[in-house]
This record gives sequence, structure tokens and C-alpha cells, in this order.
Amino acid sequence: MRLVRQTKQWLKYQLNQREVECLRSLLRQFPITADVHAKISQTDDDPKSVERETLLNESLVEHRKELKIQATNLISAEKLKLGEKGCLLTLDPEEREIFLQILNDIRIGCWHALGKPEELEPEKPPQTEKELVFYNLMNLAGYFEVAFLQALGRNSRPGHD
Amino acid sequence: MPSVLEPVTIPNRTVKKETSSKGQFAPTYYVICWNDPVNLMVYVTHVFIKLFGWDRQKAEKHMMEVHEKGKSVLVREGGEKAEFYVHQLQNYKLQATMEPAE
Repeated sequence: MRLVRQTKQWLKYQLNQREVECLRSLLRQFPITADVHAKISQTDDDPKSVERETLLNESLVEHRKELKIQATNLISAEKLKLGEKGCLLTLDPEEREIFLQILNDIRIGCWHALGKPEELEPEKPPQTEKELVFYNLMNLAGYFEVAFLQALGRNSRPGHD
Repeated sequence: MPSVLEPVTIPNRTVKKETSSKGQFAPTYYVICWNDPVNLMVYVTHVFIKLFGWDRQKAEKHMMEVHEKGKSVLVREGGEKAEFYVHQLQNYKLQATMEPAE
């Protein structure tokens, strides 16, 4: 996977056929887990903090709904176009961020499903088929995150696209 | 331009009584990012650059602080802005909270 062209309005990535299959299969899994309650503070016991936490969780639920729609959109034939040397994925900067958020949500979801292990590379191989699937999906999501960000390389300037 | 100084009348000004410093200012909050074993370092750096407009060096410094010390104070802001940042960071699935600064 590599970044073949970049303008202010869009980025064009080239993926080989195997990567396209993996990416499609991965994004279809979203979301891996149900919504997890998020804390807004670890120390603040002010009533306002409780209100803020409720708002945060409502907002996260809505955000994930939007990500689900976008996940479907990102693997559509319209986005992933077959080219001479593989598939071309064209994203605008906002879509790229959504794409990264979906990938990381999958990665974190798998981690939760595995019981939030401290060690991501277990000494023993996964004991069940389910565990194996979660480990593989978690690593695959990480692979695409790194590939996407490395492809951007040093061209990305802070706060700009 | 007048050559002789004329008396000047200073309008009455209402001077606010000083109150304790606690009551004068809206509370501020630290936005803190907490360590976890799953978010990738390159990803965390990218999120900091994207959300705060920092250069890579500053973003990496905070990312390393999270990684090595377990947490990093990212910014100090008023309630609304701090809340906004926590929402944004959690949209990216980073473990972020806002803690009262005083």
C-alpha cells in the first residue's frame, strides 16, 4: 500500500488485490463490540461531570453510527477503483480521519473482546478459534493504520492537509 | 491645542469589590491522555498533530510521556473547550479525561 498522489483536496492510495480483500473484509466487521461506557473524569465528582459523561457517551454512540455508514461507503466500488497496478483508494482528508477512526475502533474492539490483555503478543498461542480471529483482526487493523500513516510520511504538516 | 491646562472631570467609575480569587474565574481543566497497551504510537502522534495542530516534535514528546509515565497533560482549558477535546480524543479511541485544574 502506498500513497501515489496527494493534493490539498484528496489523497490517492494504491493497494494490491490482497490488501483490498483484507481491507474489505476488515471494514465489514465494524463494529466489533457494543458501545463501551466512557469516563469523562477520574477525579471530578461534581454533578456537572455526571452530566458531561452522559453527553459524552451519547455523542460517542452517535459517532459510531456515523462511522458504520462511512465504513460501508469506504469499501464501495466507487471508492476502491480498479487500476492498472491494483486498486486505487481516493480519500479526502476528512474521510482519511474517519477511516483511521474505524480501523482503530476495530483494533480496540478486538482488544476488549480479548479481555484487554497487557501483552499484545501472548506467550502462548490463542486458545480458541474466536481468540485467534480477534488477534488477527486486531493486528490487521494495526497494519492498515501504520501503512496509512507511513504512506503519509513526513509530507503531512501539523494541522494541515 | 489649548496652552493652559483645564480641570478635567473624571467620570464616576464603579469599582467592583474584590472577591476571593476562587469565585472570580471559571474553573479550568487539564485534558489528560492515559496510557493503554493497544493504541499504536504512530497513531497517537497523528491524533495529537491533527487535533491540537502541534508540530511532530511536540506531539511525539506528549506521546512518549503517555507511553513512559502513564499519562500526559495535553492542554489546560475552560470547561467547554476541555470537554470538546475529550470528545474528539475519544472519537479516536484514545483514553482521555478532563480533571479539575484546581
